Amino acid sequence: MKKVLLELKDLTIKFGGVTALNSVNLEIYEGEILALIGPNGAGKTTVFNVVTGVYRATSGEVLLDGQSLNSMKRHHITKSGIARTFQNIRLFGDMTALENVITATDVHKKSGLLGGLFGTRRARREEIAGREKAHELLKFIGIDEYSDRLARNLPYGVQRRLEIARALGTNPKLIMLDEPAAGFNPAEKVELAATIKKIRDAGYTVLLIEHDMSLIMGISDRVAVLDFGQKIADDLPSVVQNDKRVIEAYLGVPADAS
Amino acid sequence: MKLLNSLKDGNLRDWGANLWEQSSVKKRRVLATSFIAIAAVAPFLGFGLLDTPVSDYGAVLVYPVGMFILMALGLNIVVGKSGLLDLGYVAFFAIGAYTMAILGTKTSLNTWEIMPIGIALAMVAGLILGLPALRLRGDYLAIVTLGFGEIVRISALNTREIGGPNGIANIPVPPAIGPIKFSLNDQKAFFWVVLIMILLTIWMIRRLSVRRAGRAWEAIRQDEDVAELMGVHTLKYKLWSFSLGAGIGGAAGVLYASKTLFIAPEMFTLNVSILILACVVFGGMGNIWGVALGAAILAYLPERIRFISDARLLVFGLALVITMNFRPDGLLPRKKREKASVNLAKESVK
Repeated sequence: MKKVLLELKDLTIKFGGVTALNSVNLEIYEGEILALIGPNGAGKTTVFNVVTGVYRATSGEVLLDGQSLNSMKRHHITKSGIARTFQNIRLFGDMTALENVITATDVHKKSGLLGGLFGTRRARREEIAGREKAHELLKFIGIDEYSDRLARNLPYGVQRRLEIARALGTNPKLIMLDEPAAGFNPAEKVELAATIKKIRDAGYTVLLIEHDMSLIMGISDRVAVLDFGQKIADDLPSVVQNDKRVIEAYLGVPADAS
Repeated sequence: MKLLNSLKDGNLRDWGANLWEQSSVKKRRVLATSFIAIAAVAPFLGFGLLDTPVSDYGAVLVYPVGMFILMALGLNIVVGKSGLLDLGYVAFFAIGAYTMAILGTKTSLNTWEIMPIGIALAMVAGLILGLPALRLRGDYLAIVTLGFGEIVRISALNTREIGGPNGIANIPVPPAIGPIKFSLNDQKAFFWVVLIMILLTIWMIRRLSVRRAGRAWEAIRQDEDVAELMGVHTLKYKLWSFSLGAGIGGAAGVLYASKTLFIAPEMFTLNVSILILACVVFGGMGNIWGVALGAAILAYLPERIRFISDARLLVFGLALVITMNFRPDGLLPRKKREKASVNLAKESVK
């Protein structure tokens, strides 16, 4: 039996009269890649936002390792092991690539402002460790050559990957990628697929929102489908691909699928 | 020549940063020491040319120039580094000044003993204002801080125990430190104290900038939501920023009261907050050298052109508008260069 890392329990979110998510139940197992798909407006990004604490659940619960995240502060949720990227890139543009990642590694540091000011031994040790970790992650994602460049001057594809590196900087158990392949050409998508697999193989659990079916079918261990705020399928990629409701809701005619 | 060229390109900042970056540790020590030495003898370098119509150059260097630089650097932590618009910065200056005035006249404590109390009280005031106000953003925060500045001034105006509109007079000057005496006729000693406080502030900001706190502020300034989602305890670091800025304002206030011997609520109007903010924006938000330069110019200029009396504010405003038109990011804008801060971080970690 695989261990459940993140669990959405009867999760409902309403904005005024609109129900964005309607009692969604979803389990994410440790060490898997779960793809979350669905038509535009199905509630995929809403799931990300409620898990990271941007939105609060109207009813239901989000559990990480069995612990409720419902009333946890956002930075605390990040500290307890959830990190994300953004559909529209939101890097710290005036910082270098390296600084972006170091900022994320800061979350687990014990020394604060005073430690940094007076240069305590712990603060210096943590500063060096954070820098090394950030370089390591940039290498892991394959963009270490850009480490000293300002984030906003980086090429689009590198920015997308830097978002992933920054999220990994918080040392998460679960990393949530919001359309990481958006705007990528086929070759870049192949490369990204390899990177995502590498992330999983390094021990992280991945929750992925994507529209590119070939990418999803190629790397996901499981696929969950949302439609109008409800989960309509949750199974192996090959099974979901042939699910009649999914095809109706999302994939359209199979010939279009890629 | 190189300096002239870089001035022409408007790249004085890059020139300075490169000079520093390319220097060895030994050369940096020489550079820093000579810079401090020149600053320390600045009161002797007026040669009568820099005197202003109503006061001599040495006095102007203390107030407004030195004090403005100090306060602008303090406000720069809040506005420039963390991106929090504070329109009530004068409140902390007033709190420092009143602490000095009250304790200086009613107890036997001297300026040096009152200084930490004034700083602490200003920092606490920063926390008290910050805790509710920093949950707001942008314009809303600006309005609340503006209100706070007025509340402090009006409270002082209406509290008879601290003199009300008459203020407090006969505030003692600081006691001598060895052979260095503090007097109103010769303000060099005051200048050196301001200079030390400015240097300490610069040291603090430079150090924090390449550490966790600096990154947190920078992240908050650029995208507060993302900063929080990347694990930055935004409220905590915003409070730090606010209270550090407040503490520096308080320190300036203590020294100011101990120098002018008399303070009244009318000295702590919204105008002061706006002027300090103008120094930060004019010099270049987020860049300490820009802010210091901007403050020095904006403090000195109105004094210097006092001879045209009422027209001086007009000229001052015009100069400000023209400069901002040509340099919208300030005289020395924050670094947009690559690599500099990383190298800085590397060497300061060692």
